[in-house]
Amino acid sequence: MICDFTIREILATLFILGGSVFFVGSAIGMLRLPDFYTRIHASGNSETLGCMLSFIGLIIYEGFTITALKMAMVFIVVFLANPIGSHILSKAAYKSGHRVLTAKDLVGEEDEDANIHH
Amino acid sequence: MIKQESVDNAKIVGSPIVHNVCLFLLLFAFWMALTGSLKTKFIVYGLITAATTVWLCYPLLLVPNRDGSKKYFVFGVSIFKFISYSVWLMWQLVLANIDVLKATTSQNLDIDPKVVRFYFKVDNPMAYVVLANSITLTPGTVTLNVDDDGLFEIHALTVGAAEGVLDGSFQKKVADLYGEDYEFAVVEEEE
Repeated sequence: MICDFTIREILATLFILGGSVFFVGSAIGMLRLPDFYTRIHASGNSETLGCMLSFIGLIIYEGFTITALKMAMVFIVVFLANPIGSHILSKAAYKSGHRVLTAKDLVGEEDEDANIHH
Repeated sequence: MIKQESVDNAKIVGSPIVHNVCLFLLLFAFWMALTGSLKTKFIVYGLITAATTVWLCYPLLLVPNRDGSKKYFVFGVSIFKFISYSVWLMWQLVLANIDVLKATTSQNLDIDPKVVRFYFKVDNPMAYVVLANSITLTPGTVTLNVDDDGLFEIHALTVGAAEGVLDGSFQKKVADLYGEDYEFAVVEEEE
């Protein structure tokens, strides 16, 4: 039965779908962005809202029980740990002298591509 | 370099009894949430474990400031201020996340990656942690490095993300959270 859903299930589905959109956006960013530092943004950061929406969806689906409280705790841990991971990776790269790509380099790259193709 | 003696003699900001009680309640609430049962056995275990953890961990949760004259409790922050800060941060996350998603999925990759720098000085060392962590948590900005002089080096992905860090609203909110005066100065880029 297609209509055999409660409002809670529909709401939860919408939230989880919204979260998935941000996860997909994160994956697209990972593929499209040019260098290490910009990819850190895609991998580490786009997950925050994706995670937030998915967890809200799961909590709505579960109802306000002890399990929902535990999920909220997992969500808080993700929020505390995610930036630490991103920061440590980028700090290691920065301290070891990995060059930061700027907008100028990007324009240069696009020109080179144009030269190759035409 | 801070001498060990001066750290031992440092004055603790706030009342240690209040700190201990707050930490105990936090840990006990965490225990109760994880067990999810109100049997006497679990409550007694929880009380004993929480008390032992507080006794062992309280000295580790005191961080000295730069000149070593004061020690700050890590969780020594008003809960209402913290909640209002969290809500504000969540909203910033939503806005920044949509901004980054638009930039990375746009046709010609609308990004402007660069490193921006600013000075931020407060007395409470936890303010640095919270600021650096909040900036990294916000999509489009990652804290690359924070040095001893309070120089923050931030990698910003889009124009909007760089402006968001440099306009000083983040710094003001974090300083308000800890109720402290702060110094903030943007380091101009050398071209």
